[in-house]
Amino acid sequence: MTHPGMKIFSMLFGVFYIAAFYFDLALFRYYPEARQFHWARTDGIGVVILWYGWIVTAALASAAVAVAVPRPFAERLSPRWVWIVTTLVVVATLIYERRWFV
Amino acid sequence: MIVVLLLLHGLLAVALLGAITHQALSVLPLAPAQARRSFVGRFRSVNGPAYATPIVVLFVVTAIGGALLYPQYRIDVRPALEDMQNAAANGVFEIKEHLIAIGLGLLPAYWLLWQQPDNAQGPGAASTARRALTWLLALFVWWGFIIGHVLNNIRGMLP
Repeated sequence: MTHPGMKIFSMLFGVFYIAAFYFDLALFRYYPEARQFHWARTDGIGVVILWYGWIVTAALASAAVAVAVPRPFAERLSPRWVWIVTTLVVVATLIYERRWFV
Repeated sequence: MIVVLLLLHGLLAVALLGAITHQALSVLPLAPAQARRSFVGRFRSVNGPAYATPIVVLFVVTAIGGALLYPQYRIDVRPALEDMQNAAANGVFEIKEHLIAIGLGLLPAYWLLWQQPDNAQGPGAASTARRALTWLLALFVWWGFIIGHVLNNIRGMLP
């Protein structure tokens, strides 16, 4: 229940999430007006929600790395990297999102 | 149905906000002499580890509630904000969705660190990381809470 890979997962989740957001790598798309999920962009059925797809993309990618990393390496990884990497991700996100306020 | 879900989401957010604020203040490095006299001292003198699992559950359930409400926002609210040319309101909401998503990803390490005794990962590393993750999550929850309420009431707040 307390696998050290949880640190790897949390450290990488934000990185993969922001990469999925920036590079438009949502695993799937939801079209709320049509109430339909699609794997690929589908025009003509209204607005799209990508947020769910970004989260699932990030969760799968970070879980894959967390499982693949050898347990001794994960145990040696200092927990400070989790908050340092996440803080950097948040700062990068805020810098990018300045576009809404200019 | 959507109003019931919105109210439930708001009530869960209040509970989460209270719990994470108690815990975030409990990890503040203050002198023990101050701990019991002031309001802040009493507010922060909670059993931090006991809050970790409820906070994880509340964060996940509240985020799921937000995810269920999101389509209504995307269909009704966001286009209205765009019609009002209120890009800043859409911007703060977009930041909210990023922070909540990043917060979801932080939960495993946050929970893990609250289960470990101090100094298990070297001198101070675990307790520093535990404090930082708790404060990051508190920041995310406060941002989400305030922005959620502002956007919910934005038509009444703007001229």
